[in-house]
Amino acid sequence: MVTSRLIIEGYRAAQWQRIMALCCGFGMVLVAILSDIAIGPSFLPLSDVWSVLTRPGAYQGSQMLVIVWDIRLPMTLTAVVVGASLAVAGVEMQTILRNPLASPYTLGISAAAGFGAAVAILFGISLPFIGWASVPLMAFISALSASLGVWAIGRARGVSPNVLVLAGIAMLFLFQSLQSLIQYMASPEILQEIVFWLFGSLLKANWTSFMVSGAIFVAVLPFLIRDTWKLTALGMGDENARSLGLPVERLRLRMLVLISLLTAGAVSFVGTIGFIGLVAPHIARGLVGEDQRYLIPLSAFCGIFIMVCASILSKIISPGAMIPIGIVTAVIGVPFLFLLILRNKGGLT
Amino acid sequence: MKKKILVILGLTLTTILFSGHAKAEIKVTDVLGRERVLAAPAQRVLLGFYFEDFLAITGSGAYERVVGISKGAWHNWRNSQWKAYSAVIPRIDKLADIGGTDNASFNLELAISLRPDVALLAAWQFKALGETVNRLEAAGIPVVVVDYNAQTVPTHVKSTLVIGKVMGSEQRAQTLADEYKAAVDDVTARIAKAGGATKRVYVELGNKGAGEYGNSYGKGYMWGGVINLAGGKNIADGKIERTGPLNPEYVLSENPELILIPGSYWVKNDKAVLMGFGVDIKETKARLATYLGRPGWSGLDAVKSRHVLALYHGGARTLYDYAFLQYLAKALYPEAFKDVDPQENHRRFYERYLPIKAQGSFMTRID
Repeated sequence: MVTSRLIIEGYRAAQWQRIMALCCGFGMVLVAILSDIAIGPSFLPLSDVWSVLTRPGAYQGSQMLVIVWDIRLPMTLTAVVVGASLAVAGVEMQTILRNPLASPYTLGISAAAGFGAAVAILFGISLPFIGWASVPLMAFISALSASLGVWAIGRARGVSPNVLVLAGIAMLFLFQSLQSLIQYMASPEILQEIVFWLFGSLLKANWTSFMVSGAIFVAVLPFLIRDTWKLTALGMGDENARSLGLPVERLRLRMLVLISLLTAGAVSFVGTIGFIGLVAPHIARGLVGEDQRYLIPLSAFCGIFIMVCASILSKIISPGAMIPIGIVTAVIGVPFLFLLILRNKGGLT
Repeated sequence: MKKKILVILGLTLTTILFSGHAKAEIKVTDVLGRERVLAAPAQRVLLGFYFEDFLAITGSGAYERVVGISKGAWHNWRNSQWKAYSAVIPRIDKLADIGGTDNASFNLELAISLRPDVALLAAWQFKALGETVNRLEAAGIPVVVVDYNAQTVPTHVKSTLVIGKVMGSEQRAQTLADEYKAAVDDVTARIAKAGGATKRVYVELGNKGAGEYGNSYGKGYMWGGVINLAGGKNIADGKIERTGPLNPEYVLSENPELILIPGSYWVKNDKAVLMGFGVDIKETKARLATYLGRPGWSGLDAVKSRHVLALYHGGARTLYDYAFLQYLAKALYPEAFKDVDPQENHRRFYERYLPIKAQGSFMTRID
């Protein structure tokens, strides 16, 4: 009687801690987002930014309205969606592969997206009616076909994590060399454009990109929520998950498709942004453990936080210029990861 | 004593003999200060870049004396120009392609097998080739370096004289160099005399179209250098080292008084600012006009005063780039350049020195 009460109390205390972690994460994300909107090279007073944000109607035709609503907000919101998508994709990739080194990039998904974009830029592919979406759509198609390729190989050889990782690494190298080939063929101006795409930059962010990437994230979320318990069980190993009656292989394939969607949605518009998919899940796991009910949202918060802080940092480092955010994310993410490695003496798993 | 006299006599004789021999040789000091010796004006040239300037300096029959080129740098990078020239000089289409010197695809074996007298390379190509230059020279091919990318009067003059010397067309080279120097000096003098406040200029390469902010150029680098020469204040100065995009918000807050969008023949891009040989100027203007629709641009001084210009990107780094400089300077100081006609100067340069006409879209502005 006494022991079970202790266990229940222990569980409740742990839950309470996790909920607190979530609340803290949410608070930090909110502060970061507001700071990002408030900071910019034109140094608008904070009070002005706030009143433009809350009462845009009163500023019709003013430059402040353009700066806040057409330039700053789309960039910040795109950073939010991209950070969340990559972080969640990273968590699930690490879960289904049971490999702490996995990220959306492990299976060559982002390399494929980069290749698709480079092809579209080099050959000037322009789709009828939706010309603006040509590059992102090509990136998306390419990313999806890469993960379908991995999926097909995995299906043929049984969906074990090792087979998936190996097929993914092969895919990664294939698309990286194809990417290099495209760069080799391009003229300097085109090359510049491709390289810039590969860096990842918020310059490409606008309301459309936010809507599309955001819609993908929102559409994927319910499927993830439905499977949270199964994913938590999968985290305990294939044997355990199977003994609980879980269709392990089907679950893995389903997740693979969702991860591709999230990754492609995130990188198609802003280009390849590295590191978030790897580091955000680790930070979250260090705080709340393997329970996916907490791990998924907290990873998303960590991803958003890193991404938005990177955006702020890139604006502070050189006001006026636009440093590709893909470069800055690693600078922000690496210290976090080092801290985690040093703190977790037992090693990261 | 007798012996001493003999030695002196012998020495004098050899000196006379060698100096006599040296007169037949051509000694060239290239833009990097490297001295190379050619037996005679080159008849078999390996040409890396600056295809138009080479032709202007050497004159007619220039490409009869070329055995190999880095084809990609012409055919792919300046496609409209390539088409215009290959139509009147069919030989350039048949020249051996020695490969790109910028990405390790340089075909050393082919280059040597062509038995050239000299390899004329751009400074950036020389840098990219690295150790391979020594291998070329070990095979008996002197490598001479020129540089118009530096975009300064001394390097333009020096490069022109070097090519003239190598090709044995020194007089033509001197004329071209003098004209170039005079034209740029004239621009500088007029601006100095005009005085007044310097205008804020924003430059952005027009390869991405209006939907996304493209690269700008920093102080003294390519178009950045042209803006400084034309007496404008580049808003990217101090923000960007060489090339890179500016924050759209920064552009709005700086409120430029003149906007310059260099265009080129990016045929495969349906949003880019199209310019070059055979391009209709109306098309350039239509593409340029889409930039005015960017968020917040309607309020910029440059847009209100219709100071939005497009210049041909392939026109920079050439012997006739002073025409573009004049066009930009004239937009900044209309009074001081009232009697200067940049478009006419550009046209005349082609008429006098090149076998094709400057037909197409090279410099324009929104109406």
